[in-house]
Amino acid sequence: MIWRVSIFGFKTFETNETQCNLTLYVKSSIGQDNLMGVIAKIMAWVNIPSNIFGKLLLAPVGVLQGWFSITIISAVAGVALLAVFKYISDQETRGKIWDSIHAHMLSLRLFKDSLSVTMRAEAQIFKGAFFLLVYSIIPLLVIIIPVTLLLAQMGQWYQVRPLNVGEQAIVIMKLNHHMGEPFPEVSLDAAPAAEVTAGPVRVLSKGEIYWKIRAIENGKDRLFFNIDNKKVEKALSVGDGFSRVSVERPGWNWTDILMYPLEKPFGADSMITSIAIDYPDRESKICGTNWWVFYFFIVSMIFAVTFMPVLKVR
Amino acid sequence: MFLVLKTRLLFVLLTISLVLSSPGTAQAYIGPGAGFAVMGSFLVMFTAILSALMALLTWPIRYIIRTIRNRKALSKSRVKKVVILGLDGLDPSIAETFMAEGKLPNLSKLNEQGCFKKLGTSIPSISPVAWSTFQTGTNPGKHNIFDFMTRSPKSYSPILSSVEIKGSPRTINLGKYRLPVGRAVIKLLRKSRPFWKILGEHGIFSNIIRVPITFPPEKFNGVQLSAMCVPDLRGTQGMFSFYTTKIDETSEHTGGERFQVVQDGDTIHSELIGPPNPFKENGQVLKIPFEITITDMSSASMRLNGKLYRLDKDVYTDWIRLKFKAAPGINVHGICRFLLLGVSPEFELYVTPINIDPAKPVMPISHPRVYATYLAKLNGTYATLGLAEDTWALNEKVLKDDDFLTQCIQIDKEREKMFLDALDKVRQGLCVCVFDGTDRVQHAFWRHIDKKHPVYDKDKLEGRDAIEEVYQRMDQLVGEAMVRCNDRDSVLMVISDHGFASFRYGVDLNRWLEEQGYLKVMDGKRPEKHLAAVDWSQTSAFAIGLAGIYLNIKGREAQGIVSPGEEADKLRREIAEKLEGLTDTERGETAVVNVYNAMDVYKGPYKENAPDLIVGYNRGYRASWENAIGLVTEAVFHTNRRAWSGDHCIDPALVPGVLFCNRHIEDDNPRLIDLGPTVLDMFGIGLPGYMDGKALAVAEPD
Repeated sequence: MIWRVSIFGFKTFETNETQCNLTLYVKSSIGQDNLMGVIAKIMAWVNIPSNIFGKLLLAPVGVLQGWFSITIISAVAGVALLAVFKYISDQETRGKIWDSIHAHMLSLRLFKDSLSVTMRAEAQIFKGAFFLLVYSIIPLLVIIIPVTLLLAQMGQWYQVRPLNVGEQAIVIMKLNHHMGEPFPEVSLDAAPAAEVTAGPVRVLSKGEIYWKIRAIENGKDRLFFNIDNKKVEKALSVGDGFSRVSVERPGWNWTDILMYPLEKPFGADSMITSIAIDYPDRESKICGTNWWVFYFFIVSMIFAVTFMPVLKVR
Repeated sequence: MFLVLKTRLLFVLLTISLVLSSPGTAQAYIGPGAGFAVMGSFLVMFTAILSALMALLTWPIRYIIRTIRNRKALSKSRVKKVVILGLDGLDPSIAETFMAEGKLPNLSKLNEQGCFKKLGTSIPSISPVAWSTFQTGTNPGKHNIFDFMTRSPKSYSPILSSVEIKGSPRTINLGKYRLPVGRAVIKLLRKSRPFWKILGEHGIFSNIIRVPITFPPEKFNGVQLSAMCVPDLRGTQGMFSFYTTKIDETSEHTGGERFQVVQDGDTIHSELIGPPNPFKENGQVLKIPFEITITDMSSASMRLNGKLYRLDKDVYTDWIRLKFKAAPGINVHGICRFLLLGVSPEFELYVTPINIDPAKPVMPISHPRVYATYLAKLNGTYATLGLAEDTWALNEKVLKDDDFLTQCIQIDKEREKMFLDALDKVRQGLCVCVFDGTDRVQHAFWRHIDKKHPVYDKDKLEGRDAIEEVYQRMDQLVGEAMVRCNDRDSVLMVISDHGFASFRYGVDLNRWLEEQGYLKVMDGKRPEKHLAAVDWSQTSAFAIGLAGIYLNIKGREAQGIVSPGEEADKLRREIAEKLEGLTDTERGETAVVNVYNAMDVYKGPYKENAPDLIVGYNRGYRASWENAIGLVTEAVFHTNRRAWSGDHCIDPALVPGVLFCNRHIEDDNPRLIDLGPTVLDMFGIGLPGYMDGKALAVAEPD
C-alpha cells in the first residue's frame, strides 16, 4: 500500500509498509492539484475587480499614443509602488544597512592604498548587500501581487494587436485529451467579425485543434464553438490602434488565469484546456510585443529612483 | 516568536515555490516590485565585485610605485605606525595623583613600559596656539596663531584668529532671489605646514581627527576631520537656543539666544533659527517651525520637519537632522539635539548649536570632503562644531552640571568610535586624535575640587568626581589604544597641550592700563563691548582676548599713536616691568608672574601680528571675562562666579602638558613643539629647516 504525505502541495513523501522509506517528490500530484485549484479559484475571483479597475484605469490607453500611455502608466506605477515599498519595508534597518554599505564604499576610496582595508570593506559590502536582499524578501513578495496584476492588465493592451480587417489568424483549442480516447466533436461557427477559412485540423498527439480565421469587420466579437453539443465561446478583437485583446481564454491553471484575466477560465472538469488566437505582434520598441515589459521596467525604475528622495524612501 | 518566524518562513518558501513553478510568467515579476527590492542589492554586489577586482588588479602597481617613490623614507623609518592620542588639558599633577592612587592603570602601565614626562607648552598656553605649535613644529611667530581671538587692526573689534570666512564676492539678482557668483572664501589663517603634510610628501599616510586649528582642512596624503573653529550652521562658534515661558529678568547674556514662548493649553509653537539665506536679499534668516505638545510633567512630543519626536525631561534626543529650505531644490542641512529641561511651572527647552551635518556638510569640514560623510555613515552622525561641548550654556546656567557632563560624554563616545576606526584602518602611518572632554570638564568642574574657589560649596558633592571620572574614562581609552599598538613597530604617545589650574579671579587689563594712563575711556561709553569705549587718540595700549596686550602702533592699527621701533620697544618694556608682579592687594596674592615680550619670545614673519605682551598669570588668575570681549570695567580684579572655573591661560611654566609614551624618551624637558619633528625623525624624514622643535630621542623597544 502506498501512502502519500503532502505538505502544502509542493513537498510530497511516499512510503510503503514494508520498506518504510521516504522519497521526496519535488513535483507531486494530489496535494499540489488541490492547492493549485484553490489558487486558481482565488485568481479567478481576483480577476473580477482587477478587470474592472484595469478597464477604468487603463482606459486612456485606447485613445493615447502607445509610447505616451505606457510612459504615464510606468511612471505612476513606479511612484505608487515606491510609496507602497516605503510602508511595507523596514526603512530604519534598510537605512542602517545602506549607511554601512556607503561607508565601506567610501573607505575603499579613502584608504585605497591599504589592501587589508580594501578587502575588509569588500567583505562588509557583500554582507550589507546580502542583508539588504534578506530584508527585501517580504516587501518583494507583497509588491509582486499588485505588480503582477498590473502587468497582466497591461499585457492585454500592449502584448499583441487586434487583427486588421482581411488579416488571418490561427485559433488553437487545447483539449484535456488522453491518447487513445476518442476526440470530441468540435466545430467553430462563423462570426460577424470573422470567417473561418480553414480547419478544423486535429493534432491528436498534442490534443489540439486548429482553425484559420480571417477578420472581416472591425469590432469586438465572440467566436462560438460546439463541442459535443455544448457551446463555448472566445473573445475576438478586430480593428486598428489600441484595444484590449484577450489572447487566450485560459483553462483551470492559476498562472494562465493570472496572465489572461479578461475571459472566464474553463473549469477544472472541462474538456477544454484553453482556446487561444494567434494575434499578430505589435511592432514597437517601446510599447510593442515583449518590449513593453522592458520599457515599463526601466521607466518605472527611473521614476521610482527619482522620487526616492521626495518620498524619503531608503 | 519562533512560531511567527516559522510561519513567515513557510509563507516565503511557499510563495517562492509557486513563483518558480511557473517560469512562463517570470516576465511578470520584472518591474519595480522586484526592482526596488532586489536591484539595489545586486547593484551593490556588482559594484563591490568591480571595485574589488579593480583594487586587486591595481594594487600591485600602486604598491610598486609607492615603494619606489618612498623607498628613501621607508628604508630609514624606525617605526611602522605612530599613534598620538591628544587629551586636551590633561594635567600632569592631577594625572600623577590619580596614578599614585591606582585610578589610572593604563597610563601607569604606559609609564612603566615607556615614560611619563611633563610636556612644555606654548606661549601662551592656549589650545589653538598650543595645537598649532604641535602640528607645525614651529613657534607662533611662524604659524601666526597667538590666541583664540585677535583684533582687527582696522576696527579694533575682535575677530577669529585662525579662520576667515567671507561670502561670495558677487551676486546676481533674480527677482526675489539673488544668486551668489563665485565661491565663498574660507581661509585658514594658520601659517606654516603641519608635519603630516611632510609625511604625506614622503608617501606616509595620516589619519588626523579633531586636531584644533585644522579648519578649513588642507590637502595632504591622508584623511582629516577638522576641529576648533569649525562654525555652527549660523556661522558662530556655538550659538545654543533656549526656549522658555519664563520672563527673562536678566538683560545681559554672553552666549546663546533666548526665546520667550507662549504656552497655549498644552501646545507651544516656535521656530529654530538657522543661517541667513544666501539666496535672499538682506540675508533673511532661514527658520524651521516646530510644535511642542506637552504630554505630562516629564515628557512632550515635538513635530519638526514633518516628523514626530519624543522629548523626555533631562534626556537628550539623538541628533536630529534639520533641513532649512533656502531656495527651490536647495536645502541647508544641520543637526542638533534637544533637551527638555522643564515642563512646569515653566516650560524650558535647550537646543544645542545647530552643527553642520557631517553627512551633507555645507562647507568643507574634512579632507577629503567625503571623510566627514564616511564617519557619519559608519558610526552615525556626530558633533562637528569646533567647540562642541556647550560651555556657554553651562555658564549661562541654562544647562545643569549633569546635562553638561552628559553632553561631554556623548561627544567623547562619538570621537572614540572615530579614533578606534582610525587605529583599525591605519596599519602603517600616523594617527592623531584629540579628545576635548578632559579640557571642558576641567574648565567646568574645577570649582568642585578647589576649596579656595569663590563658588566652591563644601556641602555640594555632586560634580566633585567629574574630573576624576573623565581622567578614568580617558585612561580606559588609552587601554584600548595600547591593545591596538602592542607590536614592536608601533609607537603610542598620549599627550596634552597644557595642564590646568583654578580660575578664581579675572584681571581686567584694560582697567589696569587705564589706571596706569595707557588707555583712555570716552565719557559715558564705558559699558560698550569690543573696545568701543576706547578713545584711540589717547590710548597707547589695550587688551582683548585671553593672551595679552597690544600696543596702538602707528601704521599697524588704524588709529595708532605709538611709533614703531624704539618708542614701541620702550613702551613694551615699560608696561612689562609695571605689570610683572601685579598684586591683588585685596587677597595679597601675586596675579601676574611673568610678562613675555613678543619680540623676544617669537621668531618668524608673523610675530608682528602677535599681542605685543603676553601675560603670564599666576595660578588662580586669568584675563577677566570682560577683558576677553574688550569691555573696560571699573575694577582690575573680578571674582569669577561662573561655572567656567578652571583654566590654563596663565603663565605657561605653571601649566605644562603631559607626554606618555610606550617607548622611553631620553630628553628631560620635552616640549610640544618637538613632537612633530620627533615623528618625522622616527619615520626617517629629515627635519625641515624652518622647524623650531627638535627630534626627541625615542628609544628602540626592548
